[in-house]
Order: sequence, then structure tokens, then C-alpha cells
Amino acid sequence: MKQEDERLHQRVWELLPWYANGTLGDTERRTVEEHAARCERCRKELEACRQLGEAVQTAAVEAPTPHPARLARLMDRLDEADGSPLRARLRGLLTATPKPVRWVLAGQLAALLLLAAPLWTLLRTPPPAEFKTLSDPVTVAAGPQVRVVFADGATERQIRDVLLPIGGQLAGGPSPLGVYTVELPEGRDPLPVVLRHLRSRAEVSFAEPVR
Amino acid sequence: MSRTVSTPQSTPESEAALLRRIAAKDRRAFEALYHAYYRRLFAYLFKTIRRPELSEEVLDDVMLAVWTGAAGFDGRSRPSTWIFGIAYHKALKALARQDRHKAETDEVDGEEPMTGEGPEGLLVRRETADVLERALRALSLEQRTVVELTYYHGFAYQEIANIMGCPVNTVKTRMFHARRRLKELLPGLGVSRAV
Repeated sequence: MKQEDERLHQRVWELLPWYANGTLGDTERRTVEEHAARCERCRKELEACRQLGEAVQTAAVEAPTPHPARLARLMDRLDEADGSPLRARLRGLLTATPKPVRWVLAGQLAALLLLAAPLWTLLRTPPPAEFKTLSDPVTVAAGPQVRVVFADGATERQIRDVLLPIGGQLAGGPSPLGVYTVELPEGRDPLPVVLRHLRSRAEVSFAEPVR
Repeated sequence: MSRTVSTPQSTPESEAALLRRIAAKDRRAFEALYHAYYRRLFAYLFKTIRRPELSEEVLDDVMLAVWTGAAGFDGRSRPSTWIFGIAYHKALKALARQDRHKAETDEVDGEEPMTGEGPEGLLVRRETADVLERALRALSLEQRTVVELTYYHGFAYQEIANIMGCPVNTVKTRMFHARRRLKELLPGLGVSRAV
């Protein structure tokens, strides 16, 4: 049993960076949450991963905006990149054609284009417009959710005191491991502020956003 | 921390649609994708290659490869994974070329100054960024790439395996060693060294 626990701990430990960046699938995310709820080392390591993530984001290079001339040069290279540049092929065809024939061909092409013009406008129907009427139902986005584990022995009143300042409501739980889902009101406090509040309270031993 | 791979206007679906149009040689779609990816790709390439001019050249090469290869995008991964896969391999090639060039010209391996010439408004340096930057430099290129792709670009480990063309366990191992090394170098970051 002990060995199994250690294996699970190792597995979770390895996954923590991707728990921190919110990309784990549901199953792995749950595994991490359930293990971290009862493993202090993993909780601390998760905090370290998070700090590293924030540092990496802070240290990010400030990328320049693309220069229009650079994009123009790149656009010029697209035909060339295709290997069979249309323009080059056309130019090749043109120079291989005797001059009188070129004029005849050009005349024929012009006539063809004139004939095809009405067809072109017919084919180019505008894309369907998106209509929204005032009577359309307004969809209200559900607020963000946070998974919370409360400290052993936290009373209902203490839990209420923790949730009241952030307007949080218990939306689910507790899971067998004591994980609650707390729903937050949409557009009130930013999630990092809520998490800071939760993590600062002694009654809360674990708080993670639901992604 | 949130994923930074998608700009507000750009979603995997809209990007996949752009790739389909690019496969049909739609130049406006190409322009749109270029704008959607320029900053992300530059940030990634610059961190790897460290020379602004060369990073931009490689970025052009990546986008040309997207133009010629868009028909080969099979939609099994997110477009960003596919595009970063191209960028990773192009960056490795550019670094190898650079190393060869250095060996041939016996150039001193000095790091290009982070400020100075280069595209306008390129860099804002901060002290903490400097420290982290130095620590990241101490990692192997593969470890650093895993850290950057995870924490800056917000990729899942499976996607990173896809980008780097290696098994997922290799990605986890690289990250594992990177974390340990970074904790040695940045004690302020690591809480506990024990696993």
C-alpha cells in the first residue's frame, strides 16, 4: 500500500506543472487534486510550479509588432515557396509565344473576362449576416468555480464567513476526500484575488480554480 | 496562470479554418495567421535563438513552411501544436547552422546583448527576469524548451511531446530535471527539494 502511495505521489509530482498551467485532462486533474488535498509536499510543490510559471511570464520577451514591410517581403516569397510559381510560369509562357499570337491571345482573354464578369457577381453571394434581435434570449455566463478543501474541524459558520466576502456559494461536494465546489458570482472579484483570499484563511487548506 | 496560446480573436477552430484556406492558397488567410502568430512565435524563437534578426528570419521560414505545408495539417492536433512543431525544428536547424558558422569563423561565443539593435521596442528587461533568464540558460535546450512551452505558451505535456517529436515520458523527465535544477539555482522559487 505504502509503495502504491509513493508511486501515485511520484505520478502527481510529475504532473504538477501541467496542473498549474491548466492543461491536464479531467481524470489526471482529479487525481492531482485528490492527492494534493492530503499531500502537503505536493501542495508546496504546486505553489513552486505556480511561482515559476509567473516568473516565466514576467520574464517574457516583449515581442515587436510585425513590420508591414517584412510581411510584404514574405508575401512576395509565397509563390516562390510553392516551387511552381504561377507568375514565373506565366512569364515563361509569354516569352515563348510569338508577339502577334500574344496580342490575339490577350484579346481573347479580355473577351472571356468580359463574358464571365456577370457570372462572377452572381457567384459571389455575400455570406449570411448574423442577426440578433432584441428578443433573443440573453445567455448569462455561469460564474467561475473553485475547488476548496476546508481545514479539519471547520464549522459551517466558519465556512460561511470564508465565502461571504467573495460571494461564493457551495455548488457541490464534499467529495469523499472533502473537496467542495464553490461557485463565484460572474464579474465580481478577479479569480486571483478570490484565490488569495481563500488561501489566506486558516479554515481553507486547498483552493484551486476549476478549469 | 492562464494559457497564453490563443489571442482573444484566435481560437483553435478559427485557426484550423485559416489553415484550410491557406491550403487552398488564400493569401489573406495567410496574412491573418501571420498576425495571429507573429508575437507568440517571435517570443518563442527569440528565447531559443537569442538573435532578433535571426529569430525573424526563422519566423519567416516557419510561416513559409505553413504556407507550403498547410494541406498536410490533418487536424489531429491543435493548429498551435502543429505550427510550434515546425518552429521547434526550424529553430534547432538555425542553431546548428549558427554553431557551424561560429566554428568556421572562430567567433567568440558571446551572448548578443539583450538591448541594442533589433526591432523597435523589443525588450523590457527587469531584474527578476535577468535572474530567471540566467537560470534558464543553465538548463539544456530541451529542458528549457519544455519549461517555456509549458509556462509561457501554455501547452499540455502531450502537445509538447508532439512539438518536440519525443515520447510524453521524455517531456515529463525533462521537466522533472529542469525543476530540480531551477530550485538549486533559484532557492527563492523552490519550496522543497525533496520529491
